[in-house]
Amino acid sequence: MSHIEDATAEAPAILAEVAPAHLPRPVLVANNRSFGWITEKICNIAEEKTPVWWWWCFGVACFVASFTVFGLIYLVSTGVGVWGHRNPVNWAWDIVNFVFWIGIGHAGTLISAILCLLRQKWRTSINRSAEAMTIFAVVCAAIFPVFHVGRIWYAWFLFPLPNSNLVWQNFRSPLEWDVFAVSTYGTVSVLFWYVGMVPDLATLRDRAVIKWKQIFYGVLAMGWRNSSRHWSNYEMAYLILAGISTPLVLSVHTIVSFDFAVSLIPGWHTTIFPPYFVAGAIFSGFGMVLTLILPLRAVYRLEDLVTQYHIDCMCKITLATGTMVGYAYAMEFFIAWYGANPNEGFAFINRAFGPYAWAYWIMITCNVITPQLFWFKKVRQNIPLVWILSIFVNVGMWFERFVIIATSLARDFLPSSWGYYSPSFVEIFTFFGTFGVFSVLFLLFIRFLPIMPMAEIKAVTPQADPHSGHDHH
Amino acid sequence: MKRKVIHPAPTERELTGPRYWRSLDELADTPGFREHLEREFPQGASNLDGVDRRQFFKLMAASFALGGIGLAGCRRPESYILPYGKSVEGLVPGLPLYFATAMPLRKSAIPLLAETHQGRPTKLEGNPTYAPHGGASSLLAQASVLDLYDPDRATAHTKNGAGLDVAGLNDLLASIGKNYSAAGGAGLAFLADESSSPTRAALVARLKAKFPKAIWAEYEPVQDEPPIMAAQAAFGQAVKPLYQFAKARRIVSLDCDFLAAESGSLYYSREFAKGRRVRTKDDEMNRLYVAESGFTITGGMADHRLRLASSHMVLLAAALASRITSNSDYAKFAEGLDVDPKWLDACADDLLANKGTSLVVAGAHQPAIVHVLAYAINAALGNIGETVDFVAVEPSGAATLADLAPAITAGQVKTLVILGGNPAYNAPADLEFATLLKNVPEVIRYGGYVDETSQLAGVHIAAAHYLESWGDARTVDGTIVPVQPMILPLFGGLTEIEVLARIAGEPTVDPYALVFNTITKIAGGDAQAAFNKLLHDGLLENSAYEKIPVEFSALRTGSLFASASKPAVFSKASLEVRFAADYKVDDGRFVNNGWLQECPDPITRLTWDNAILISPRLAKELGVDPKGSLFQVARRELADFDKGNENAFIAEVTVGGRKVRGPLHIQPGLSNYTIVLPLGYGRSAVGHVGLGTGFNAYLVRTSDASEFVPGATITVTSERMILANTQEHWSMEGRDLVREDNFDDFQRNPGYVHAIGLEAHSPPIYGEDGANMTPAERAAEGPKIRGNSLYVTPEFTGPQQWGMSIDLNTCTGCNACVVACQAENNIPIVGKDQVSRGREMHWIRIDRYYSSGSADNNDIPEDPQASVQPVACSQCELAPCEMVCPVNATVHDEEGLNVMAYNRCIGTRYCANNCPYKVRRFNYFDWNKRSIGHFYEGPLGPDGMPELLKMVKNPEVTIRIRGVMEKCTYCVQRIEGAKIQHKVKVAQAGDPADIVLPDGAVRTACQQACPVEAIVFGNILNPDSAVSKAKAQEQDYALLAYLNTRPRTTYLGKLRNPNPAMPDYTVPLSRKELQQHNGTPAEGEGSGDDKSPGDPNAVAPAAKIGGSS
Repeated sequence: MSHIEDATAEAPAILAEVAPAHLPRPVLVANNRSFGWITEKICNIAEEKTPVWWWWCFGVACFVASFTVFGLIYLVSTGVGVWGHRNPVNWAWDIVNFVFWIGIGHAGTLISAILCLLRQKWRTSINRSAEAMTIFAVVCAAIFPVFHVGRIWYAWFLFPLPNSNLVWQNFRSPLEWDVFAVSTYGTVSVLFWYVGMVPDLATLRDRAVIKWKQIFYGVLAMGWRNSSRHWSNYEMAYLILAGISTPLVLSVHTIVSFDFAVSLIPGWHTTIFPPYFVAGAIFSGFGMVLTLILPLRAVYRLEDLVTQYHIDCMCKITLATGTMVGYAYAMEFFIAWYGANPNEGFAFINRAFGPYAWAYWIMITCNVITPQLFWFKKVRQNIPLVWILSIFVNVGMWFERFVIIATSLARDFLPSSWGYYSPSFVEIFTFFGTFGVFSVLFLLFIRFLPIMPMAEIKAVTPQADPHSGHDHH
Repeated sequence: MKRKVIHPAPTERELTGPRYWRSLDELADTPGFREHLEREFPQGASNLDGVDRRQFFKLMAASFALGGIGLAGCRRPESYILPYGKSVEGLVPGLPLYFATAMPLRKSAIPLLAETHQGRPTKLEGNPTYAPHGGASSLLAQASVLDLYDPDRATAHTKNGAGLDVAGLNDLLASIGKNYSAAGGAGLAFLADESSSPTRAALVARLKAKFPKAIWAEYEPVQDEPPIMAAQAAFGQAVKPLYQFAKARRIVSLDCDFLAAESGSLYYSREFAKGRRVRTKDDEMNRLYVAESGFTITGGMADHRLRLASSHMVLLAAALASRITSNSDYAKFAEGLDVDPKWLDACADDLLANKGTSLVVAGAHQPAIVHVLAYAINAALGNIGETVDFVAVEPSGAATLADLAPAITAGQVKTLVILGGNPAYNAPADLEFATLLKNVPEVIRYGGYVDETSQLAGVHIAAAHYLESWGDARTVDGTIVPVQPMILPLFGGLTEIEVLARIAGEPTVDPYALVFNTITKIAGGDAQAAFNKLLHDGLLENSAYEKIPVEFSALRTGSLFASASKPAVFSKASLEVRFAADYKVDDGRFVNNGWLQECPDPITRLTWDNAILISPRLAKELGVDPKGSLFQVARRELADFDKGNENAFIAEVTVGGRKVRGPLHIQPGLSNYTIVLPLGYGRSAVGHVGLGTGFNAYLVRTSDASEFVPGATITVTSERMILANTQEHWSMEGRDLVREDNFDDFQRNPGYVHAIGLEAHSPPIYGEDGANMTPAERAAEGPKIRGNSLYVTPEFTGPQQWGMSIDLNTCTGCNACVVACQAENNIPIVGKDQVSRGREMHWIRIDRYYSSGSADNNDIPEDPQASVQPVACSQCELAPCEMVCPVNATVHDEEGLNVMAYNRCIGTRYCANNCPYKVRRFNYFDWNKRSIGHFYEGPLGPDGMPELLKMVKNPEVTIRIRGVMEKCTYCVQRIEGAKIQHKVKVAQAGDPADIVLPDGAVRTACQQACPVEAIVFGNILNPDSAVSKAKAQEQDYALLAYLNTRPRTTYLGKLRNPNPAMPDYTVPLSRKELQQHNGTPAEGEGSGDDKSPGDPNAVAPAAKIGGSS
């Protein structure tokens, strides 16, 4: 990996004349930790005796996850009617939750792929857990579109499998696009995550003292021997995957937004949706990364690896994307007015002042006002506050999807068909349970896998720099 | 498609064999084989709900016959079957047969054709041979077939709770006759409901002859015909009016709901529509003035609607009469009427300007004096013999309940035979009928249900449904129609005439023979031929009541006026209560009918309940005015809504010391201080469906004030209950959904519908030239038509292209189409709970909007105009639903149908979301497999539908499983059926190239039922088809056309014909709101005098956009 500092060696002479102030780069690993310390620190999380708190969390998470399991069993055995859907609100929490989870899943790949391509080194501390979060969020997301259909036993109709009926899929349907977009995204994300983990898995394998762990990590490490050839192939593979993933980050939520934008329902039929959804997804993704990484940092004393600088960066991205989302909200109103279509205009006024106004203002508060606090350094440095605000972001982004989906459907073209949707308990518990599903997966992840890319972190430490410790000036 | 075939008697061979057997075991009839058969039957068959399994199988013999078990179980006993030609004429296995019958209701009947599949009636249609109805039928008639298969019907004859076999019952009935014949019938009394049956009349006459001292009383809680007494007073003759609405250009209704509640409403609706229908600007259009206290279907059609307490109707009638006749007494009598004199003057002038072509009608529930005044006005206007005929009716000569009650109290009645009705439930409260019955030692009750009355009777005789009965009846104009059984009584019920004949000790008790004798006597000539013709035609020609000339005399009516008292003035403290039969459950007799219960009330849109209807003004004074949200963006709702459900306050109405509690529903358009209590709900002894629905308004209805009563009070409690209202929002919100105009403006600007839609501002829907192309040509032109769309249009290459036109100008919103569709397409009912969750399944619904004329005013309108709009799948050519279905489950066929492949549907519901008309319905639960109230139990709940109810299903339409989407198909099964039939026909004629169906060969269920012919369906490629002609009219428009969905169902704009001289003249209020909403001033705002209404320059010149080819 090249280093920006290298560039100073061939710096034009003018630089010496103007003598620019030396801006110290924030260190990415604090306290000048050694390679060994990093290895010990991260491996130890997976190797240490299972902490008691972990068991407690795991137990609670399993219990919560069972809500989803039972909710889905009830749903499939009895019918979609156990949810609160009705005419005209035929989609509600199911698709809200789907978009919510998919949105959360965006940060991981964004951090891994786009920031990798942009050479944002600060990503190294958080990318592994963010990628894990992506995969688990996609798992949670996939539950909803699969189970929300009326006849799940025929859900395979969605896939272009050869069949004797000669009925093919409808490739004009955004739902069909979703099938491919989400499954591709899920697959690539898993690959990316796994490929990035291979050197670290090898480390764990080498350190493992228990037989089953040796086998487990050994199989996963796929014979990694830390040779230069391995590294060379690995770096290339990683770069290619980053290249593949980058458009996916943009495409998945664009296509998810097409579910709405391609329809003709006022409030859905909006061309701003693709960029607005992507911005919202990154916003919610970073919100979720913060929500997860801050406790993790506290529990495992990872302050040296996840420094204030990392948190600052994430807060700033949250601020930027949150502001974009706020801009999109305003632009929707403008276009609704400028478009002069009374149905369109009503849809937006109804969002803000109609029966679902409470949801709209929760959304505005959480998504537009909350991130503005990140302008202040004091706020960004107050870790508990950042964590609370990140939760606000998560809540706000859930409500954004609810506002878009439910309020638009509840009052569309014919006032005779207007209705008010409210969820049933089954729906609420099923959604609640997905946090359990997510937590179970995440807890397993921190227990058994390297939660941070040791190799990559080491690469951004001063020690990895051949000029480390030397004065360039 | 219709074939009326008479049941042939079975041949000897048919009755006895041939015998087929499946195995030697069966031939030997071993116990093992029997057990095997048992096991084969569906789970739970042995514990059927309400039906004895063994008995059920007997009844299902026909299906056994097909199942190959043999004809041994085939029930076609010789005595029940009519003589026949030589063979089973026209019987093609798998195809339905149609038989003529009629549904009797009170003093009239609706002639019907029953569609039967393998011996079970599944669908009723109006009998087209009966010209006054032209093949239409009513909501109640459409739904009545479901009652036949109601598992809650009385399934056995009982005596003191124990079963009574047929022989025992016959002995019992005969013994009554024997016991009382000596005393001349003293101590014997009958209480029957009204009937128009000539056979019953003949039997009653014979009964009276045999038991001269017996009391024969008749009671109907609801009056649907003008009182004979009024005609007696006015004309000195027992006559009844028969209105000719088609001839009437000006109609004044005095609290008369002639489009729905009166006995001839089907005929009247049809005739009214004839005068209402406007095809070109040169047509004439009638004008309807309605004064009413409640809000009725007729009121919704009014051009001028006057809200007036029912008690004050007499004043209004007198005021009009004083202006029209020369009799000065009327003016004095009208004093105290609180109506703008200008209104009255202008209305009277309008009537006077249309002498002989005007008509004043009074509601059947109004007292005789109002009818007399109406007759006086009609006489003065020369309308008698023109727009109103009087026909001779035979007075029934029956005693009333009021006559019977004292006799019972006095202990003079030893045996009371209650035939039909349900007096214990619906008799006037002051009679305390239930207590009264305790004075009668022997009560024999004949009825279809074990109801409130049956519970008080020692003997209950199960009645046969009319589709199981031989009988006869007369329609509103007196035409004799046969009541022909379609199926043997499922529960062994008897017909009323058989019961009467047995009591009378008649030598003939067979109902068929009784009817045969009566009818052939009337018909004369060759008895058998005449009877066969009657059964074939479904009516007896020239049997209508005789029209007789009448002469109005004011002299005879003097005493009526002398005895009339001044009506009270109403306020919050002294309210008027009006009792009205419910549009759906009538007087309570249809309360166990799920189709009717789930059908939204045409006005309130409530299902499964009735409600105390109060005016917005009264609601405000009572403090139950719904608040609405802080920032109200749409109009305030009529009630507080709790999670989308109407959350109604419970109120208590006190009338003369009697109290009744029920939920409040604020009803715009009510007379300010009139409370409407719909009758028929709150039954205590009723089947599963009707149980727990509504409140019983009969509790406060007394014999002296049975229709409306002053002096009532209302108190609102803090309790609430949820009402299942299918339409939460009442306002059109200034949108261009129902496009309305005044007739005079329409004449200047016939294409008004195209100037007021959103699409008026968009590029032409079909491009510059597309409007004149066929759908196939447009499809071939593809992207060039509009917008260079990338999407491929379906090709529409079929030889015929289906389309529909719905005339909003004649649609009254009666709901007949809704239930007709339900019956035809096997649409399930889902119950109150699911309706309140917004999951009703109707494929066609009727949207009802109120308009107040002010888009800014958030208040609930006190005096709104109502507009109705039937909405079903519009079969869009560019269907938004099709585009979004990921699995191609909803696609287009080449004839323009947007078809659903249920088997392919996985239920993403995306199509329903993307449907701008919101006509797609999702099977959230297994409606057909689970039962109401157990949906949430899933597989753990009881298996739903009783076997019996499955018999009403149309075998030509798939039953939908849970998890699939469904919607209107344009009755594709009828289209395909007609195609096959046509193919067979042309093949026989030797011209197989002729594949285009003749116009009218397919009629959709909604179209067929529609009394006003508002729905026209057919091939839009044929320029001469009725639908093409309808779509070629200038007022043809597509709902939400600007979306470029190109719906095949289009609407004809609604017209109102207000009188410019009237003080309440206005442009249609919905139009006003639309124009306010869109920033253009409404023309002719306020009074019509100051500004010329409908200035043609006020709206953009009409450009023909869209429409049909």
